[in-house]
Amino acid sequence: MKIFLKIVFFCILAFSGFVGFANFGIPQVKPAPPPTEEKLDLGNMTMDQFIALGDKIFNGKGTCTLCHNNVGKRAPMLDGAGEEAVANNALLRLKDPRYKGKATTPEEYIRESMKTPSAFVVAGFGSDNDTKSPMPVITQGSIGLSDAEVDAVIAFLLNKAGVEVTVKIPVGAPPSEKAEEAKPAEPAKTPEEVIAKFGCGACHKIGKEEGALGPDLTRVGKSKNEPYLRRAILDPNADIAKNCPGGPCAPGMMPPDFGAKMTGSEFEMLVQYLVKSK
Amino acid sequence: MSFFSGFKRLTCLTLLLTVLFAGGFTFTSLPVFANTANPEEAVKSEGTTTEAVKEGEKKVEYPPAPKLTVADYPQIGSFNPRILVWIVAQLHLWFAAFVLAVPIFVLIIEALGMATKDQRYDNMAYEFIKVSMAAYSITAIIGGLLTFSLLVFYPDLFKYMASLFSRSMLAYAFLFFAESASLYIYYYGWHWLEGGFKKWVHLTIGLVLNFVGTVLMLLANAWVSFSMSPNGVDPATGAFLGSEWNVIHNFLWNPLNLHRVIANIAYGGSIIGAYAAYKFLGSSSKEDKAHYDWMGYTANVIAVGGLLPLPFAGYWLTKEIYAYSQQMGITLMGGVFAWLFIMQAVLIGALFLSVNYYLWCGMERSEGSVRYTKNIKWIAAAVVACFLVWFTPHTLVLTNQELKALGGPYHKYLGPLGIMPAKNTAVNIMIILTFLSFTLYRRANKIATVSWAAAGSAVQAAIFAGAIANIIFLGVFYGYFTNTAYKVAASIPQVSTTAVVIIFTLIIDSMMFKGAKDVAPLKWGNVPGRSQYALFTLAVSFTWLMGLMGYIRSGIRQHWHVNSIMRDNSINAFTPTIGYAAQVVTLAAVIFMAIVIFIFWLSNISAKKSAAH
Amino acid sequence: MKLPKLLQAVLVVVAVYIAFKLVFSVGLQQPIPSSLLTMYMFFVVVATLLVTTATEESAKEMSGPIKALVEDPSKKTIRNIVFVLVPLLAGWMTYSNLRPSFEAPVELRTIHPAPPGSMKAFGKSYDLAKLENPFRKYQKEDPEKFKALVKEGGAVYYKNCHYCHGDKLDGQGQYAQGFNPLPLNFQDIGTIAQLQESFLFWRIATGGPGLPKEATPWLSAMPVWKDFLTEDEIWKVILFLYDYTGQAPRSWAAH
Repeated sequence: MKIFLKIVFFCILAFSGFVGFANFGIPQVKPAPPPTEEKLDLGNMTMDQFIALGDKIFNGKGTCTLCHNNVGKRAPMLDGAGEEAVANNALLRLKDPRYKGKATTPEEYIRESMKTPSAFVVAGFGSDNDTKSPMPVITQGSIGLSDAEVDAVIAFLLNKAGVEVTVKIPVGAPPSEKAEEAKPAEPAKTPEEVIAKFGCGACHKIGKEEGALGPDLTRVGKSKNEPYLRRAILDPNADIAKNCPGGPCAPGMMPPDFGAKMTGSEFEMLVQYLVKSK
Repeated sequence: MSFFSGFKRLTCLTLLLTVLFAGGFTFTSLPVFANTANPEEAVKSEGTTTEAVKEGEKKVEYPPAPKLTVADYPQIGSFNPRILVWIVAQLHLWFAAFVLAVPIFVLIIEALGMATKDQRYDNMAYEFIKVSMAAYSITAIIGGLLTFSLLVFYPDLFKYMASLFSRSMLAYAFLFFAESASLYIYYYGWHWLEGGFKKWVHLTIGLVLNFVGTVLMLLANAWVSFSMSPNGVDPATGAFLGSEWNVIHNFLWNPLNLHRVIANIAYGGSIIGAYAAYKFLGSSSKEDKAHYDWMGYTANVIAVGGLLPLPFAGYWLTKEIYAYSQQMGITLMGGVFAWLFIMQAVLIGALFLSVNYYLWCGMERSEGSVRYTKNIKWIAAAVVACFLVWFTPHTLVLTNQELKALGGPYHKYLGPLGIMPAKNTAVNIMIILTFLSFTLYRRANKIATVSWAAAGSAVQAAIFAGAIANIIFLGVFYGYFTNTAYKVAASIPQVSTTAVVIIFTLIIDSMMFKGAKDVAPLKWGNVPGRSQYALFTLAVSFTWLMGLMGYIRSGIRQHWHVNSIMRDNSINAFTPTIGYAAQVVTLAAVIFMAIVIFIFWLSNISAKKSAAH
Repeated sequence: MKLPKLLQAVLVVVAVYIAFKLVFSVGLQQPIPSSLLTMYMFFVVVATLLVTTATEESAKEMSGPIKALVEDPSKKTIRNIVFVLVPLLAGWMTYSNLRPSFEAPVELRTIHPAPPGSMKAFGKSYDLAKLENPFRKYQKEDPEKFKALVKEGGAVYYKNCHYCHGDKLDGQGQYAQGFNPLPLNFQDIGTIAQLQESFLFWRIATGGPGLPKEATPWLSAMPVWKDFLTEDEIWKVILFLYDYTGQAPRSWAAH
């Protein structure tokens, strides 16, 4: 027992020696507290947070990377490094004789290209001899970014290119989160509304829309039956059509989540509309 | 009775099959991780449309890492869950290190006993594994407690990690059963599987046990190293990219693996050494004293064997951390955590000093040691000189007067001792000197009979002197007269020099003392009680050091659960001061020591009972 | 006559202490800071104790006089004196440690704090983990051009930096003594040779105001050079710093 206590005493002595030295023998550096994280409150955002918001929209809500990726080569890269950064190319494009817009700075150019995509089409990415852009107007339709969100994306793209971020943070104009959430509550009433709501025309030629990336759907009912069309919407990669305007279609291009986004009646309306398109 | 033993055999056989099955499972499952295609590669390899369609089907979108707020962390009153998780994880690590390490050297000692036909080795191996048996179940209990406390207090982190490591966690569970099974057969089958072929079977089970244990540790290391250097996930969002192997095989995985395996062995040896010391001090009979003295000595040799390469493994790990992220590296070595390394230096110094002291005291066992004891003071002086270099900090604590006297925050002569080349030089010499103590101890009781003994000793002396000169030259030349790229490289020839000394000395020794005569029979048990306290110091310092370094490894992530991927937004995300960390580590170490003493006590009772029978 | 073991041990410790003082304070004019000397002496004492108790014989010699002092009836007078002196000594040490003084408290400054993950300058953001000196590649590819760049860097240095950091880059510029902390001595092996070029870029571009909290309490007087120099000028001056001191930046590319 005596030995046992001796050992315990010895261990405690050693530990207190260590802890004593750690507390009093060496200076106590108090590390800085963790940096406060960005709050998504547009009112008092710093530029860094605003850029981070743009990043989030670019990769998320804005669905930009659906086409602007280096996988499908459907659209030019925007957020890469150097040559692949849109802001670095903007000034060159503004001088291009094919340019039809009014922008004078990279910031304006990017904003313009989001609102009127056909103002300038990068060679090789448009239809009709590169005069028509397949890109949807991103302030409308299913993407429908607010002006503040557009600004955030521009800030993100400028920052990514390493050029000066000229965008001003909008004051008191929060992104339309609520409006966004409210939208799905009103189902479309006609097939045309469905097509507009889900932006089918961005890729497909359908109704009055003139999309030129996916297969032409104006007469799709002629060659495809109803089960095929249902499957094509719910599980776009189940069958890959070969008749895209630019040759065989690439897989994985059509968003696979329409089944989750559409209401039952919208889906039915769309399928019936397509079946009847002969 | 015969039925019972038959039943026992059947159970053993079933368990053995389970082990083999589980072992096979690991083999087959590991390549599965590797085969799982990385989506990027899949896209690149897209050839024909049909193939691509299949890939398209396979491609699953994984959710990004969750972004948490304070509200996501369950809070019970003012209870501090971080300290709980910290302590429980640390306890789990200590016990796990112990129970994984002991079978490694038990197997070696058992094989040694089989080769030399010396029953003492076998008995000692059995006693070692007996000590680790009780620790094993405690490891499992604490592991469960750790999982539970993570689930309760950090549910989102646990979910995220579980989603990334889903398959390896399953494998872990399987392997854990395999580990238990093989450990139980290994321990309970010890006397049953004795002699001849049966002993081979027993050794094989031991091998399986060690294999499974190591794989278990590698998997657990992957979780930890992932949180420092995440891989296989989208760096922006933290979304899983589909290949679990990439997640496991992250940047710091292998450096961490090596460091932990070596440290485990040293640690296991030191705990067994403390056990032997405890028994030594408590026993009164001469035979018991001799037995436990021998056991403590063997454990100490194992601990030192692990301790000597440890600084190099640690150096590699640190270098890789630096290479992975400059920010992390500077936080570690130059920033907030730099002073913890002074603490570490003090502890490592304590380890080396107590190891040397134990060897010096051990010379009492032999009557021939008088020839060497006068050298002790010179070795001690040199070890201390190295040690002072080893812990001289790069950034000095200065009063204003001293600052003026020095003319700046850098000391002209001590400053250069603060950087790595000096530390490497010091630690290499310290290792060589410790090895010298060991060599002197080994020959204390021997008189060489070969004709060239004097020449052999002279050659050895020349090797030691030449090596030390070479290490100093390398350190000074490459460290101070060339640029940084070489500074890092200089450590390799230094380490090689140390290795050469150890290998050549051992070879010459083994030839020179072949058939050497003993001065007198070694008097095992004839050591002062003081030396046993050196063994305690070794165990205590090791425990505390592991706790501290564990904190550093985890702490350099600062406010991240997973570095730069998943942020810690709880109220406890701050990085504590050294004193605070030291207090938590001490608390954990005291709990650990209390449980260990309880285990020693338990094995004592069972020993008493079996002795009574 | 052979000295008693205990006295030998005490003499060794005292001798080491005096040697430290003589060599560093008097000989080299660079005294060992008291905080470090305390630790040095602590381990010298521990090691002396270990050596003297390593063998049973010398351990007895060590403890003999102490035992005798406590137990031997004939040593009563010495015992009484020691038992009075020791508590007084302890009391005096405690007092002198706690006594208030005008000395500013000892504080630690981290000279090379950890850099942030990224920084902003010249209207862009830089990822410091991946940032490389754009001119470093010429060292191998085009040594002539590299030489010219180093020379330009030298011009930048002597126009802007040498007032504080010195014309030999040793931190002994003509205004250096006016500052606390002192300008860094780039010749010191522990400074730029230990750092990556991106670290230097960060330090030069953001200056004293860019230092994180752990680098306080002394505020560095280094200007925010991104307001005065161009990006290229900073990179060139970094080339010059390494070239002049004969050091190479810390880099992992060599492996």
